[in-house]
Amino acid sequence: MGGSYYMGFLLMRYLISMIIFFSLISISEGGWKDVFKKEFLTAPWGKGPKIERDVCIECHTSEMIKSQYREIPSEWRKSWHYEYRVACHDCHGGDPRDAEKSMSPERGFVGIPKHKNVPEFCGKCHIGILENYLESDHGKALKTIGKGPNCVTCHGSHNIQKASIAIINEGLCTRCHSYERAKSIKATLLLTEKKIKEIYDSLKTLRSRLIYTEDDDKILFRTHVEFRALFHTVDVNLVKDRTDEFSKRLSAIEVRVQKYFQELEFRQNFTGIIMFIFIGLCITVFLLGRKSE
Amino acid sequence: MVQRIREWIEIRTGISELVRSQLIGYMVPRNINIFYSLGIVAFVAYIIQAITGIFLLIYYAPHEDHAFKSIQLIMNTVPYGWLFRLMHVVGSNLMVAVVFLHMLSVFFLQAYKKPRELTWVIGALMSLITLTFCLSGYLLPWSQLSYWATTIVTTMPTAFPVIGDFFTKLLRGGEQVSGVTLNRFFAVHVAFLPPLMLILFGIHIFLVCRIGFSSPPFGKVIEERKEWKEFRPESYPDGHPFYPYFFSKEAFMIFLYFLAMFFIISFAPALFLPADANTPADPLNTPEHVRPEWYFLAPYQMFKLIPNKFLGIILQITLVILFILWPFFDRLKENNILKRPRLLVLFLGVLSLWAVLTIWGSY
Repeated sequence: MGGSYYMGFLLMRYLISMIIFFSLISISEGGWKDVFKKEFLTAPWGKGPKIERDVCIECHTSEMIKSQYREIPSEWRKSWHYEYRVACHDCHGGDPRDAEKSMSPERGFVGIPKHKNVPEFCGKCHIGILENYLESDHGKALKTIGKGPNCVTCHGSHNIQKASIAIINEGLCTRCHSYERAKSIKATLLLTEKKIKEIYDSLKTLRSRLIYTEDDDKILFRTHVEFRALFHTVDVNLVKDRTDEFSKRLSAIEVRVQKYFQELEFRQNFTGIIMFIFIGLCITVFLLGRKSE
Repeated sequence: MVQRIREWIEIRTGISELVRSQLIGYMVPRNINIFYSLGIVAFVAYIIQAITGIFLLIYYAPHEDHAFKSIQLIMNTVPYGWLFRLMHVVGSNLMVAVVFLHMLSVFFLQAYKKPRELTWVIGALMSLITLTFCLSGYLLPWSQLSYWATTIVTTMPTAFPVIGDFFTKLLRGGEQVSGVTLNRFFAVHVAFLPPLMLILFGIHIFLVCRIGFSSPPFGKVIEERKEWKEFRPESYPDGHPFYPYFFSKEAFMIFLYFLAMFFIISFAPALFLPADANTPADPLNTPEHVRPEWYFLAPYQMFKLIPNKFLGIILQITLVILFILWPFFDRLKENNILKRPRLLVLFLGVLSLWAVLTIWGSY
């Protein structure tokens, strides 16, 4: 009895000594490492894209800069680019980590492109769209007479939203010409766009229910991008001709999506039946147990 | 024919005598309750993990370029692969829950007291191995969630002075979590931990069988406790027979476990697999909200709250040691926790703190 108490006492004393010993090391060492702090407390739980902390943002939100340019960061934060972590230097070049060289041409700084050069500016990433745009009447007008709509005319410059068919509207198109041709293209695009959106939603549902749709995601994304690029030709006949081809590609994805949904239904029914078997077994065993008591 | 087969087996094994002595003739305390069956439920949970794990091994590829693809293959293409994977994923979480409940009930029923201190210590080590199983298995799908959660966990040892960096490198097999880490964790998960668990399990079961069931300190029948000066198996001559009385309770709890598992698989299959768990690992892109699994949330939150990380990790290690060696700290003979208000307050306090830290950690 006394021995047991003594053992407990010894263990407790040992534990307290260890805490004091390690605490002393902790204080002498600091116990706090930059790497650890950086990796453990900042990176994994840091909210929002890391690209926010760069000199472009710092300067464009300070008093140093003209008021008209101070709105740019807040506009950009509302954009589709922001959501996908496309930062200032991705389009404008320069070095966002070096205040002195941030706007240096040596570091690829472009600044504000001229109206005529905007398609190439955006086309660095949107390659397919640039090609189709340059073939279009819009592109030809811009390149020949230097006047005509470029990317920002329809999409805006910093608060760029996810492109949707709603961009083709009477208010926007009639700023330069009549709406008839645009209306006809919009009508052609509408069904396919609707189908694409439905498939996106279906794939999202499938992913949330643990069907991996990576391959179909890629096919759909590629189809969608090509389809959007096609529109930029603003050629009604071409859009109409090729819409069938896109529809076929989308239908093929739809067939696979339907199969996945059937599979999910089967899975739920299958495990549901097993669950009911176990409910039955639980009840049976419970009743048998009561009987044996 | 059946009779002849039965006789053939009986002559060679003497199984009917075994059934008589270990099932029908084996007496358990009259006031034994359903919480005493959690041990066998935990055992069944391990068996399910082992069986489903073996099936997953057939298609799983432990390589950074193929691991996620192989999981996709199992979920989408392999016939019933989804079932085995979901049973493994849901089962791992339920297994931790059952082990927690088992430990809590043993503590509440004070079943760790003399002569069962060793049984508790082995059980506590098994529960730690269970968590190590979960930790090592978490990386294997090579998803965004698993990659970054492992990055966080393997960063923790750097809080140690002198040996911290070395230990982290040892875990990762380099500076960063990489394919080498995946191989190490895979080896630990499928080759190192299972035999270790089996050995501890064998000792645990041996001790439980050798010493016998403890009797609940509550209820009508409480045997007069004698001083343990020499080994003697605990027996209950006036108790209930193990079969069918306690056997039916155990069977009920096992079926309930399966019921819970298939309920989750049927109606909430993605409960333990959020979006980041279904996205391939991208070492260049840190997800915004990475947090550990629910059972690590309390220590994780505690770790975040303590400003000195080294002290934080030492405190946690101390608590783990305290947990493992608890029977040696608690030397009082009284085994009814309701008659020990200070211990009851400690028990409820720790439970509440755990719950608060878990909820806090999830935000």
